[in-house]
Amino acid sequence: MSKNDVETAYFRRTSRWKLLLVLLIVALVITVILSLNVGYAQIPFANILAIMSKQIPFLSGTVDPSLVLPMESAIILQIRLPRIIAGVVVGAALASSGVVYQGVFKNPMADSYVLGVSAGAAVGASFSILFGLGSVVFGLSLTQVAAFLGAVSAMFLVYNISRVGSRVPVTTLLLCGIAVNFFLFAVVGLMEVIAGDELHAIVFWLVGGFSNVLWRDIWAILPFVVVGIIAVYIYARDLNLMALGEETAQNLGVNIERSKLVLLVLASLITGAAVSVSGLIGFVGLMIPHLTRLVIGPDHRILLPASTITGAIFLVVCDDIARVVATPFASTLELPVGIITMLAGAPFFIMLFRRKKQSYAL
Amino acid sequence: MVLLNVDGVECRYGSATVLEDVSLSVKEGDFVGIIGPNGSGKTTLLKSISRVLKPHKGTILLDKDDIYSLTGSEVAKQLAVVPQDSVIGFSFLALDVVLMGRNPHMSRFQMESTKDLSIARRVMELTNTWHLAERPINELSGGERQRVIIARALAQEPKVLLLDEPMTHLDIINQLEIMDLVKDLCSKQGLIVLAVFHDLNMAARYCNLCVLLKSGKVFSTGRLDDVLTSDNIKTVFRVDAIVQRHLVTNSLYVIPMSRLKSPPVKKCSIHLICGAGTGTALMKILLEEGYTVTAGVLNVLDTDFETAEFLKIPVTTEAPFSPITEAAHKANMDMIAKASMVVVTSVPFGHGNIQNLEAARQALEKKIPTFVIDEVPIEKRDFTQGKATELLVELKLKGASFVKNSNELLSKLSVSEDRLKLLQESSKKLFEHLKS
Repeated sequence: MSKNDVETAYFRRTSRWKLLLVLLIVALVITVILSLNVGYAQIPFANILAIMSKQIPFLSGTVDPSLVLPMESAIILQIRLPRIIAGVVVGAALASSGVVYQGVFKNPMADSYVLGVSAGAAVGASFSILFGLGSVVFGLSLTQVAAFLGAVSAMFLVYNISRVGSRVPVTTLLLCGIAVNFFLFAVVGLMEVIAGDELHAIVFWLVGGFSNVLWRDIWAILPFVVVGIIAVYIYARDLNLMALGEETAQNLGVNIERSKLVLLVLASLITGAAVSVSGLIGFVGLMIPHLTRLVIGPDHRILLPASTITGAIFLVVCDDIARVVATPFASTLELPVGIITMLAGAPFFIMLFRRKKQSYAL
Repeated sequence: MVLLNVDGVECRYGSATVLEDVSLSVKEGDFVGIIGPNGSGKTTLLKSISRVLKPHKGTILLDKDDIYSLTGSEVAKQLAVVPQDSVIGFSFLALDVVLMGRNPHMSRFQMESTKDLSIARRVMELTNTWHLAERPINELSGGERQRVIIARALAQEPKVLLLDEPMTHLDIINQLEIMDLVKDLCSKQGLIVLAVFHDLNMAARYCNLCVLLKSGKVFSTGRLDDVLTSDNIKTVFRVDAIVQRHLVTNSLYVIPMSRLKSPPVKKCSIHLICGAGTGTALMKILLEEGYTVTAGVLNVLDTDFETAEFLKIPVTTEAPFSPITEAAHKANMDMIAKASMVVVTSVPFGHGNIQNLEAARQALEKKIPTFVIDEVPIEKRDFTQGKATELLVELKLKGASFVKNSNELLSKLSVSEDRLKLLQESSKKLFEHLKS
């Protein structure tokens, strides 16, 4: 291979990254629009498009008013859309924080469970379900606030236990995280045992889903997720360098302890915000980054945005399935999306992994 | 002129001090070897110089700046590190890894420019890795990967290169290729190189300066010839070693001889009748077993003579290539008289050294226990028309014990040593008994 080929290939790859992102965004938009069509009530697709266009300032004048029915409008805008947007936000949040956890821990099996973040959220949520169900503070449900606080405090607890002098070695972090994780899930188990009537609510939260999502919930977490993901992206190259080992990253000019703290805090904020709305949704944070890496390689400058969008698409599609799969049996029954993500995702991942094995090339 | 100044550095892990008062000054074009036993602080020293482990005391100046007052990127523009072993978390392409070396030169939002890419290409061509550019780093062999890592370090365009045992997993050709390259950069471009070596011969081959560490302190520092001496190696590594200048490579080389053991229990003295290298191995073994060893008569320049000199064994000598004279024989007999046992090796006998067999015979007559190692049949090493064979038969008749090899000799020696002690003790007791 001639020398210039490698260089051209290198720069072509960068432009291919941009193309890939555009395609993913288009795919996401299409997924969102098509998902509006999914649900128990049969609403013609033309009506859905009309209802949506009505919301867009430039297009609202061109919409045929006969297609916009108040009932359908309410279903689309107050039930389906918030649910889909929640899927986008939570999917993006889980996948992007998964990228960060895997990058910082140099371990493709790391996710939000590793630092006890998910377990902390579970404790917070279970606690509030058990003792204060229905309370609302500042326009937010108490469960949501408790889950978020639980997630963030678990992360800080693990981080501080792991501190050795001025350093926080990754291996200690991993081990402390696992220990705290077990401890917190034991606490959740304890609450389940004494839950009585609330047991169903706790279990439902633990599996994760979007059945009762309101716009209010989305507005509450959106700033955390959006700002968090953008801030993480600033550290994308640091994540690349961390793959060489902490000391090498340091020798290449990375302020490793600061980067690590910033990244873990951001990832935990993002995760905490996401699970406060959705409950624990497994698989997305673990597998989406891994899967994306198999396809486009390990460079975090593309891996991070690509995983974020892929995670969003994946979760929206899973939620579509969750909404329709049980309808033939009982119109009001729906599955928690967390079950779908795992049922659908794991075999797909295994298949992809077996075919691709270790080759990560673009 | 680029200078690296380490001044009075002290490092601690918890309460354990691992480096104490380490100072050194290095200038452009110096290739400094850092040597010392495990745990002597070599890697710690590199870590403190590379701004990873802040020393508790002392300063490290790069030119005139304290590296701990500079930012990580500022230091990384001038100083690169090649670690011992690189486990890379994900399957980055070799080119990606090398481009990571450009990180300190890029701002946070910058992408790699054509300039960065051409630098990557240049250093990859230097390290002979350009053809691997598009291969995932984790699929490369150990040698290829280490060369890519060195390319990454060079992509930083450093003035100082720190190598931490860079060749631990490399085969000999990879070691030479990489070190030749580094040496070349050092002498032609004035790169400062500090490298930790375990292999003293590699250090000897490439360094011009050397720092020898012993339990966290600089034991010796300076020009390689002054630091890498047999005495220093003995004190620091507790190993007996020969240090010589190789005739062909003209660099120092070190041959470790044996570990220094705690002085063994004093055993009796043994006189060796040997020559032509037949006593060389035995001398070392007997010394290690704790015997006092003498030898003779040996011609000066004989292999056994040189070994004896090296091991500081007393020898009666004869001029080179000359038959044993009466005077030498007498001196030998005096030496034998002081020994508690005599050992005759499977040395060939000619008219020049037949006198030594005579000495063994006289030793037996003086009731000194004598052992003959009959490893090579006498017919094959008798160049005296049967005279030596005759003498050997006579030795056997007079009660010399014949052994097959040195192992058998050692077991018989210890038996007869016990017997000797017993004899001495009983005669002492008898003597005291008679006195009373």
